[in-house]
Amino acid sequence: MSVVVVGLSHNTSPVELRERLHFPESQLPAAVLKLRKHLNDAGVVILSTCNRVEVYASTAGPPNGAFTDIRGFLSEWHNLPEEEFASALYEHANRDAVGHLFRVASSLDSMVVGEGQILGQVHDAYLASQAEQGTDKIISALFQRAFSVAKDVRSRSNISAGKVSVGSVAVDLAVSIFMDLAGKTVMVIGSGKMGELTLKNLVSRGASQVLLVNRTREKAELLAERLHGEAVALEALPEHLHRADIVITSTGAREYLLTPAIFERALKRRANAPIFVIDIAVPRNVHPAVNSLDNVYLYDIDSLQQVADNNLDARRKEIARCLEIVEAGVTQFWQWHQGLIAEPTIVSMAEELHAIRERELEKTLAALPDLSEKQRDEVAYMSKRIVNTILQRPMTQLKREVVREDPHIVLHLVKRLFGLREVP
Amino acid sequence: MVFAVDLTFYAALMLYVAAAVAMGLYLRRGDVLLTGFASRFVLAGGLLLSVTFALRWVMWGRLPLTTMADGLNLFIIMATAIVLYMSNRHQGVDRALLCFYTPPLVLLYAVNAVLAFGDLHREPKALNGAFLAVHVGLAVLAYALFFVASVTSIAYVFQARSLKRLHTVGLFQKLPSLEQLDRTLYHLIAFGYVFFAITLVLGLIWAYIAADELSARWWLSAKIVRAFFMVALYSTAFHGRRMGRLRGQKLAYLVFVGFAVMLGGYLALGLLNLQDYNFWSAHR
Repeated sequence: MSVVVVGLSHNTSPVELRERLHFPESQLPAAVLKLRKHLNDAGVVILSTCNRVEVYASTAGPPNGAFTDIRGFLSEWHNLPEEEFASALYEHANRDAVGHLFRVASSLDSMVVGEGQILGQVHDAYLASQAEQGTDKIISALFQRAFSVAKDVRSRSNISAGKVSVGSVAVDLAVSIFMDLAGKTVMVIGSGKMGELTLKNLVSRGASQVLLVNRTREKAELLAERLHGEAVALEALPEHLHRADIVITSTGAREYLLTPAIFERALKRRANAPIFVIDIAVPRNVHPAVNSLDNVYLYDIDSLQQVADNNLDARRKEIARCLEIVEAGVTQFWQWHQGLIAEPTIVSMAEELHAIRERELEKTLAALPDLSEKQRDEVAYMSKRIVNTILQRPMTQLKREVVREDPHIVLHLVKRLFGLREVP
Repeated sequence: MVFAVDLTFYAALMLYVAAAVAMGLYLRRGDVLLTGFASRFVLAGGLLLSVTFALRWVMWGRLPLTTMADGLNLFIIMATAIVLYMSNRHQGVDRALLCFYTPPLVLLYAVNAVLAFGDLHREPKALNGAFLAVHVGLAVLAYALFFVASVTSIAYVFQARSLKRLHTVGLFQKLPSLEQLDRTLYHLIAFGYVFFAITLVLGLIWAYIAADELSARWWLSAKIVRAFFMVALYSTAFHGRRMGRLRGQKLAYLVFVGFAVMLGGYLALGLLNLQDYNFWSAHR
């Protein structure tokens, strides 16, 4: 049995090509059924996201045949000549295919390394295939192992720590300052799009009160109505600053609106409770010296970008360690998979020995006609125990040896030793 | 019995060291399993040290509280209990705090093992009644709370400085929020302050009752002066925080420096064997 993957991703193809090979969710069931026909009822999973399209399969034949079949399926399904996408495809078989899936599920192959979305997408793809009876024993075990490796990678490394987009960094920092955003007051100064987006992020995390400050009272009231907040006129800003736990400024003002003196007064009125200030205006609205005040944490657009870059760098540094975890998972899965090769031989060996046992048991019982029913059962049970005990070690050892040595030589030798028929 | 005391004492030390090593590895590798190991090592270490304490109690038939080693043992046991409580709240998400808690615990334990080891084989002097046992027990509990508060204050300063310097990767991402650390710090100071104030009142009542046994200027002894200094310091910290005047890094620095001075004083008085450093000798 081979495990194969054929696909393309953001690393190998432009978005235009990925779009053309994309499988919409509604078409997945039909695609799974058709793909199975192409691959003689093999176990399959189609993973289709905005950054990748991949087909996983476990086939009885050699990998090359499966690669050709999958390419043919993609071409036929999308009505696209193979030459138009073949150069962007990657094709992996067996250990390499397993390693690829584990890296994808662990978000090590993602555009934003460590992002959490891909694991859910892999899970959905697996469930979609399972719903169409498109999975088999190997594909199921492969994907279950991929989920467990991905969870291991996340919990045993820092790969998913820290946000890497400016918008989410602001929320992440707010959570690092405040225990819980529930009940926190956010003040938005100005009406910039980014300020509004950050506010929405904060509100979605629980921030409940919103103060909207604008140059004119009317404009502030309009905004307040739209964003379900309280309007505050710009000239009244110093009087209301102490009410805010989080301040977002994005006005076009040419001079600083908030100075250390204003913050000092606000801090006094709020018993020195911390204030998180996000100044996304250019030029800046908050005097940089504000950051030197105890309990005020000021971030401008460059600082937020720097935090995002630092987080991304830190994630990249974790990749090597994550790959070790992935590699250990691949080895474990591959040992299990290789062990499957020995299964038919083991079954055949057990059948052969039990057939001998039954023949000999029959002869023995015929020679001892005086035995009671209970005694006959006891003798039969003993013979079974002996054969099972004899089989135990060779079975375990055989599963190990087919992984270590050439499985064909090992299995051939065992068949010769026990006089077994050739098994498929 | 003596062998069992030594064995449990050193085995506990090894477990605390193992916990600190596990947390060091956690800092490098980020594997959350290590924090679980560290937490279990600390728990096992605390339990073994409690066995040491209990064995000493059984061995001599009296509460072992009057030697420096016994005092530090009880202190470490109580600090361990507080640390475990603190680092296992919120389904264990606070376990990263063990990065801060375990090294000072190991350091204190090592100081105890090196400097006061002889005390473990010595008979503890008897406390003058159950009243003093409560007095000493509460004092040690207050010290343990102040100790954990001072380490929490380091964590707070670390978080606050990381935020100011935009260094928001690594340990920063694993520690609780500033607000939570601040609240924890406040609670530790509040409980410590209350227990210590009760200790002091109990001590004063006892001194009044046993006035004949004390010298006329007992309140000028190093131990009592240190106790009053501590009350003044933690009173400032507690009331300052309660009223919102002292908050954030300023409070953290005050708590840390205060505890460092207090601990330094305790060890110096103990090591220099100055009169009145021990609990029993106050009534000489």
